[in-house]
Amino acid sequence: MKLDIQALGTFYDMAQEGAGLAAGRLTRMTGVETRVGVTKLNFMRGSEIHKEFDDGTDKVGIRVALSGGVDGHSVIVFDRESALHVVSTLLDQAEGEEFDDMSRSAVTEVGQIMNAGFIDGWADVLETVIDVETPEFVEGRTADAFIGDLEEAPDEDDFALLFQSRIEAVDTEIEFRHYLFPDRESMADVLERHRDPNSVGIEYDKLAGFDEMAKQGAKEVASNITTMTGIETEIEIRRLNFASLEAIPEEIDDEMLVGVAHELDGKPSGYLLFLFDEGSAREVVEAMVPSPPDDEFGELGVSAIKELGNIMASGFIDGWANVLGTTIDHSPPEYIHDYGAAVIDPVVIQLGEDQEFAFVFDTVMRANDREFDCSIYAIPNQDDLERALNDLDVERVEDAETKTDVSLDELENA
Amino acid sequence: MKTYGSEPGAPEPVQVGISEFVVRGRDAEDTLKSYGLGSCLAVALWDPDSNIGGLAHVMLPDGDAADGADEKPGKYADTAIRAMLRRMVEKGAAYTSVEAKIAGGSDMFEFESFGDGVGQRNTVAAKDELDKLGVPIVAEDTGGTRGRTVEFDTSTGSLTVRTADGDHGVVEL
Repeated sequence: MKLDIQALGTFYDMAQEGAGLAAGRLTRMTGVETRVGVTKLNFMRGSEIHKEFDDGTDKVGIRVALSGGVDGHSVIVFDRESALHVVSTLLDQAEGEEFDDMSRSAVTEVGQIMNAGFIDGWADVLETVIDVETPEFVEGRTADAFIGDLEEAPDEDDFALLFQSRIEAVDTEIEFRHYLFPDRESMADVLERHRDPNSVGIEYDKLAGFDEMAKQGAKEVASNITTMTGIETEIEIRRLNFASLEAIPEEIDDEMLVGVAHELDGKPSGYLLFLFDEGSAREVVEAMVPSPPDDEFGELGVSAIKELGNIMASGFIDGWANVLGTTIDHSPPEYIHDYGAAVIDPVVIQLGEDQEFAFVFDTVMRANDREFDCSIYAIPNQDDLERALNDLDVERVEDAETKTDVSLDELENA
Repeated sequence: MKTYGSEPGAPEPVQVGISEFVVRGRDAEDTLKSYGLGSCLAVALWDPDSNIGGLAHVMLPDGDAADGADEKPGKYADTAIRAMLRRMVEKGAAYTSVEAKIAGGSDMFEFESFGDGVGQRNTVAAKDELDKLGVPIVAEDTGGTRGRTVEFDTSTGSLTVRTADGDHGVVEL
């Protein structure tokens, strides 16, 4: 099975069209005004999906089996609170604590109408018919409750291509996620039919290379942050997204961010950004400058952040180069302290001259003992990335994986 | 000038995301807002006689040379301006009285691949298109190295530009 940009673009259109229809139907049914937020395709390992579900909150889901144009399962997952809120809006009664038969059937109906919205959207894009089975109501805390018994749900180490859409309710707290788990063969079929016949494409199994790049890069960065600042961090989120370029800035928080940007040259070329919220950036400056200045973002602070950026960039691209077996250079860091979206739109615009979509390596590092978040965005040039991955030797990926499992201490003592 | 957000019941500004444009008729109560423009450009068109106006958040300069501009006219400076002007005229604006204000188009990075600057390219493209169409630019706040957030009030034609510098400066165009 091969992935190519045109086919993934079709998937992306499906996700977006589906989210639009689902949002419209939610509004018609509940009277709640909605807006379609960011739509992305995620490539996630089974283990990461489990991590995302296991956030300790109670959830309810509405799940349907699909067949025909797409085989698989479509699942709408609400926070339990949101579901109860939707029910109370719909039935025009006070918010309850538990799901009785009536509220259960109300939430199932909402979920089903939204599922149907998504599915109609996909069918429109694919110009096909998708059949839908009877919806099931699911309640639980962990991934097992929702997808444990699905054949097409990925095992720990397998990848799933997930459609992720956010629909925001204006003025009210309703949150939900939507997942499509397509059956592998069925997905291969759709990908094949919508491929650009002139493109080489990327072997699906080389996705392991993508994931390994992200893992190695982040690991190097974590170790560099500790060396430079003494702050111990771990990887909180590690994702590979496929999204339209304009979705990238939209997703960044509308707050002031501090960070550095680098231009990458090699295989692949592209851009690499490290972004901190202001609080985390202050932590960095305080940890790096012997007697921290009053203004953390003055000359001393800026040079500390640039220095850290430079080191993190070297680590990150070393991680990539190890997996890909290529050479990648990075430019000196450009410092930024600006509105969230503004820090990334120049990069998106430059890439937009030649491509409509991008693979985004999206990683968040977090410290356990203090408020410290660092978001890493790596956005490679699409043609370069496709070439680098096609040249990728899968054995090398396995080697790199083995290396990751050995701790630094063990290596040093070996 | 109206302030929104502080008074209960006041309408929230309508967000104009990247590659989108929104046109408001004469009785609009809400403002139009684009957050965090870096090298993107905000183009506000307004007819002072009818109070019909629109805001575009453009990403790239040249739609005529690109595929897919028909589907997403708001993505490109030239096609966004034409589409927005057409929509305004359909709503009752007089073409000849429409005027423009533009903001954004910064260049915060000096990367080799960026050439003259991606922000500057957007500003130049918008100016060229407005010139071709005979729409005068009555105010602008473009270029530089800082991001901007803009809010456009179509009932007064005022474009408020917030800059992310040390003092979080606010300019009203």
